[in-house]
Amino acid sequence: MNAPDRYERFVVPEGVKKVSYERDTKIINAASFTVEREDHTIGNILRMQLHRDPDVLFAGYKLPHPLQYKIIVRIHTTSQSSPMQAYNQAVNDLDKELDHLKNAFEAELAKHSREY
Amino acid sequence: MEGASHQRFPTVKIRELKDDYAKFELRDTDASIANALRRVMIAEVPTIAIDLVEIEVNSSVLNDEFIAHRLGLIPLTSERAMSMRFSRDCDACDGDGQCEYCSVEFHLRAKCLNDQTLDVTTRDLMSSDPSVVPVDFADSSSGFDNPENRGIIIVKLRRGQELRLRAIARKGIGKDHAKWSPAATVTFMYEPEIHINDDMLETLAIEDRISLAESSPTKVYDYDPITNRVVVVDPEAYTYDDEVIKKCESLKVPGLIEIHPKEDSFIFTVESTGAIKASQLVLNAIDILKQKLDAVRLSEDTVEADDQFGELGAHMRGG
Repeated sequence: MNAPDRYERFVVPEGVKKVSYERDTKIINAASFTVEREDHTIGNILRMQLHRDPDVLFAGYKLPHPLQYKIIVRIHTTSQSSPMQAYNQAVNDLDKELDHLKNAFEAELAKHSREY
Repeated sequence: MEGASHQRFPTVKIRELKDDYAKFELRDTDASIANALRRVMIAEVPTIAIDLVEIEVNSSVLNDEFIAHRLGLIPLTSERAMSMRFSRDCDACDGDGQCEYCSVEFHLRAKCLNDQTLDVTTRDLMSSDPSVVPVDFADSSSGFDNPENRGIIIVKLRRGQELRLRAIARKGIGKDHAKWSPAATVTFMYEPEIHINDDMLETLAIEDRISLAESSPTKVYDYDPITNRVVVVDPEAYTYDDEVIKKCESLKVPGLIEIHPKEDSFIFTVESTGAIKASQLVLNAIDILKQKLDAVRLSEDTVEADDQFGELGAHMRGG
């Protein structure tokens, strides 16, 4: 009877920030981003997109515990960039990629419905 | 904050399309995007399902909660779902989830009056919104073989038994409860690239070539009796079972057949429950994934806080 509400898995509680940022205190150009109420869906595409950036020295994500509904993305970059810049770039690139994918799928759909 | 773009330009080719089934190729992207799409289609594309049941009379053999659960699992046509509100953030009805923006009402009244058993089906569910009704499999292109379409059976009534109830359907996602998942199955596989080394094939006896072609549990290869060669007839039938590779080794010709998964090409199959069309399911998944990405952008105050910290940091480092 004391089970937590199911929506707690995907609704960010009031007063909690969706994305919080923490600089590494010992390494320059290294930081962790804590993303609330996200999982492998977002974590893995961000990680793989960050790997395409030559200024990113390290990018990884973890889901600390299956009952803590958050992921931690850690980024380490060269001095040419910054973790925040790399993160923003990755999100923008993924967004554009999905725009392209949507247009490509719609074009195929239109072509397919004409043929049959 | 301007950096070089490392964007990709994925391509799509649709192979087969029915209302509740789609098969397509996705190229020039990586497994993370393919898997994110699959995960979103299963757990995060919204549909409408019955979420609240008020039972007035129930003298059937099934108890109230059993019937409520069965009602919840009925797929409802959900083209409206993307534009509907979640009842938890609907401000038109103070969150009680009973207004037209976030809910659809259903009524069911059935009583058995004669000696023949009465089947109560989804056809007896009366919807307040003609665009949100139980899925009808009769007019879908695949269809059930059953000539007389009766809908999905909810309960069977004997003489004198009665069922009367009111149900509220709401928008939800598969992550909340599987009844809201619009996907029956979503799968993707790497496209295999199969190379047969013809020079090595020459060293094999005819019967070995035939047994090599037959060693695959699925029909990937065929033996051509005219040219005496083993040819690939259907690379996609390969299930990454390694059987032919092992066969090559046992025939003392390792490397005769080499198979590599193409890491940027995927073959997707999408089956819908009927709540939304398979093609719409893919499009909605892309939209939802875009919304999710938008939500994880850094907020202004985070950036500002870091700028201040940056100056402080530079100061501390002696800058």
